[in-house]
Amino acid sequence: MKEKFQITQSAELTSLSTFRKFIRSACQDNQILDLPTQYDLQLAMDEACTNIITHGYADMNPGSIIIEMEFKIDQVVMEITDFGHPFEPVETSAPDLEAIMQDIPTQGFGLFFIYQAMDNVDYETTAYGNHLRLSKKI
Amino acid sequence: MKISSQKVNDMSVISIVGSIDGLTAPELTEFIKSQIETGETNLVIDLDQVNFMSSAGLRAILTGLKSIRDQGGEIYLAAPQPGIEKTLRISGFNKIIKIFPTFNEAIASYHLK
Repeated sequence: MKEKFQITQSAELTSLSTFRKFIRSACQDNQILDLPTQYDLQLAMDEACTNIITHGYADMNPGSIIIEMEFKIDQVVMEITDFGHPFEPVETSAPDLEAIMQDIPTQGFGLFFIYQAMDNVDYETTAYGNHLRLSKKI
Repeated sequence: MKISSQKVNDMSVISIVGSIDGLTAPELTEFIKSQIETGETNLVIDLDQVNFMSSAGLRAILTGLKSIRDQGGEIYLAAPQPGIEKTLRISGFNKIIKIFPTFNEAIASYHLK
């Protein structure tokens, strides 16, 4: 049973499925067989990475996204690092679906799911990139 | 992601296999749009074989829902897997669109309306 896992992929939408598979494999390797937990981890990562790809690296050449997962006794910690424009994930309320249907620009749909799926969300920008740290109790 | 459709009585059933995310959601948007353009305005989206859907997928469905309601039609969702059922519920989707636990219930409900 391994405790730490890491993957680096280009910051492109084609990498999302690779990242989801990485999370499932790491969970199964650590006997995290609870499907809802696996799904929540994949969802939070997918939403975060989609934001990085579409906003963080906007107007830039596609950079990289690094995902590190650490399995502790009672929690899983997932750190997502990128080198694009900082994009701090502010917690939002439930999406206004009627507004979305009326093509009224709205933000935060993905952020809502990140906060719903994870127990803690921390963000830090350093000289070595932007670090989104997500943790979930197991 | 693979997407196809077939007629079941008066409804067009859209079957999706795979994941609906930022990469594949535009394909769903275009598929629903093409359905409307060919006159299909009563759709059932069968989610039984969809193993993942992010907010991009939900947006694609909302875009299609608006367009189809503008034409007097409707979209039903059927058989979401547990993870997707949860995201539909917590985002409030169940308040604006009918979601059925099984495909057969979705088809039957249409004929009862």
